Amino acid sequence: MSEPEKPSPGGDANRRDFFNEVASVALGIAGLGAAVVTYRFLSPNVLFEPSPTFRAGNPDLFPVNSMTYLQDQQVYIVRTKEGFYAVSAVCTHLGCITQWKPEADQIACPCHGSKFRPDGTKIEGPAPRPLPHFAITLTAEGELMVDKLEVVKPSQILKV
Amino acid sequence: MATSSLAQAFGRLRATQVWKSIFRRGPARTNRTRSLAVFGNLFLHALPVKVRDKSLRVRATYYLGSITFFLFVVLVITGILLMLYYHPAVPQAYRDMKDLGFVVSNGVFLRNLHRLAAQAMVVAVFWHMFHVFYRGGYRPPREFNWVVGVGLLLVTLFLSYTGYLLPWDQLAFWAITVGTNIISAMPILGRPVRFMLLGGNLVGENALLRFYVLHCVILPLIAIVLVGVHFWRIQKDGGLTVKETFQEENGRKEE
Amino acid sequence: MVEKKNSYETGFGSDALKNPQRIVFITKKTSAKVKGDVGRQLMSFPHLLLRESIAFQVMVIVLVGIALLWDAPLEQLANPLVTPNPAKAPWYFLGLQELLHYFPPLVAGIIIPTLVVVAFVVIPYFNVNVQGEPLWAGNRALRFKVFLSILVALVAFLAIFRAWTVLVPTVAVAGPLLFSSFLKPEGQPAWKFLRTRPVSWWVMTWFITVSVVLTLVGTFFRGPGWSWVWPWRGHGV
Repeated sequence: MSEPEKPSPGGDANRRDFFNEVASVALGIAGLGAAVVTYRFLSPNVLFEPSPTFRAGNPDLFPVNSMTYLQDQQVYIVRTKEGFYAVSAVCTHLGCITQWKPEADQIACPCHGSKFRPDGTKIEGPAPRPLPHFAITLTAEGELMVDKLEVVKPSQILKV
Repeated sequence: MATSSLAQAFGRLRATQVWKSIFRRGPARTNRTRSLAVFGNLFLHALPVKVRDKSLRVRATYYLGSITFFLFVVLVITGILLMLYYHPAVPQAYRDMKDLGFVVSNGVFLRNLHRLAAQAMVVAVFWHMFHVFYRGGYRPPREFNWVVGVGLLLVTLFLSYTGYLLPWDQLAFWAITVGTNIISAMPILGRPVRFMLLGGNLVGENALLRFYVLHCVILPLIAIVLVGVHFWRIQKDGGLTVKETFQEENGRKEE
Repeated sequence: MVEKKNSYETGFGSDALKNPQRIVFITKKTSAKVKGDVGRQLMSFPHLLLRESIAFQVMVIVLVGIALLWDAPLEQLANPLVTPNPAKAPWYFLGLQELLHYFPPLVAGIIIPTLVVVAFVVIPYFNVNVQGEPLWAGNRALRFKVFLSILVALVAFLAIFRAWTVLVPTVAVAGPLLFSSFLKPEGQPAWKFLRTRPVSWWVMTWFITVSVVLTLVGTFFRGPGWSWVWPWRGHGV
């Protein structure tokens, strides 16, 4: 095997080093491209999950000062004297489904004992945040509509 | 030498050209042929040709590493058999579990064996790690093999975790829900990693299929590669560590 | 080779008659460092392989025996709308779930497990673990003060977060650790053993103790809402 060529006095790479570098960069780009293509393949673009925007029905179905649990959507529809708001029933700790305890006026999580008030604020437990409120609006036909993708401030209430 | 007729027949078999074309070493009665039995064998040549007699004692290692590996073998065999009756779809997966329990011959037994071996393997891999630690089997030149072992520990835990979802019962579903929500607590990467792992935002049919592929193909392949490296390194690093006691010059006993 | 006053002149030579001596340089990075005598060696075939096959068969017999008697559980069909109470992880993660009760998910779920794994990986690369010198070698009084402060800080930290199930096993290991500094290196084998344990031994023993306690608590002592239950008073697992 021949000795490696000495680099030229100007400090430039010789021919062999140059081709090695070009090949390595090309392989690197190809590898990066492969990784990106695989990552995008693995991230699904179409999901067959229930739509996060749903109709909750006519406002008259909900009496004043009531808490209604919608099981399919994991949302509490709360109607107070002032109006409506929608609170998530998914505990902010680790995703378990909470339960409404009317006798204690609390939303309780069975997994690690977090407890919330009906407006979602935390009473006790390891949950890091209060239960989020979802945007609740009226459709043109006068039905309640909840959008779980839009989180709103707890002070926002739909007046009906 | 009085040999039984069976032994004589076997001897004649070994003398045939067919046999000799497959097994080249001849009976293992000399140290040379005994060496070839290990060294010349594709499956066994990761093992050393000679071992220290102290390392063969049960109390040296309790055979924990071997047991962990054998449990993996049992899991692969029972797992493949179980795969033949399992559809990774919702809710068919649960119905298949019921089928295995009531309709499939020895289905209960095979499932019990698979689950038991899985629990035992988690115990064994931890016990093996702790025992190697207390023996000092991580000291140079074995540092890298220790790291490979930690990798195998993580693969074992992840294998057990992905398998846990497959029955698709309440226990499975909520254990995995809690686990993936913990992953989403990781800053920046948490949500994307959870999305990729579940194939969506919820634990649903995509999650079941991904966990199935992880559990049956990806993780076992990684495990087999790492196990190969692990065994190879044992041989190359000088064999198993055995607690040695030897006297130093000034009489102090060092372990 | 020409021998000068205090140094050697070495060179390459392939003429065995002219340069009959060959020198091998052994650097520190040679593999397979052997301490002391290697000991008696046996052929893998049959000694190792026979023992391994026996171990395999014994293990299979034990597994089959238990599998014939103990059935794997199967609960109801997965229902995303109803969370069972309590919702428990597999037993090897229950220790982690118990930790989640005291610390936020980022700490107990991500940071602590990552630190644990990193700690495992780097064990062999720290000289203190390789040397394995006894904890109380060197300046015993100073080391005692250092470890006492560390342990007091750790216990205080755990008490602030009210992580009692971590605090109790920590104290259970810290006690013998501090006690061992007062033992004599010569003496009964049990005391001597404790006295000569290196720091890595104590850390690992502490880790195993805490993990075992947390896992047992998570398995038997936690009921609905992750509340404390005494396993013998109904509820059960």
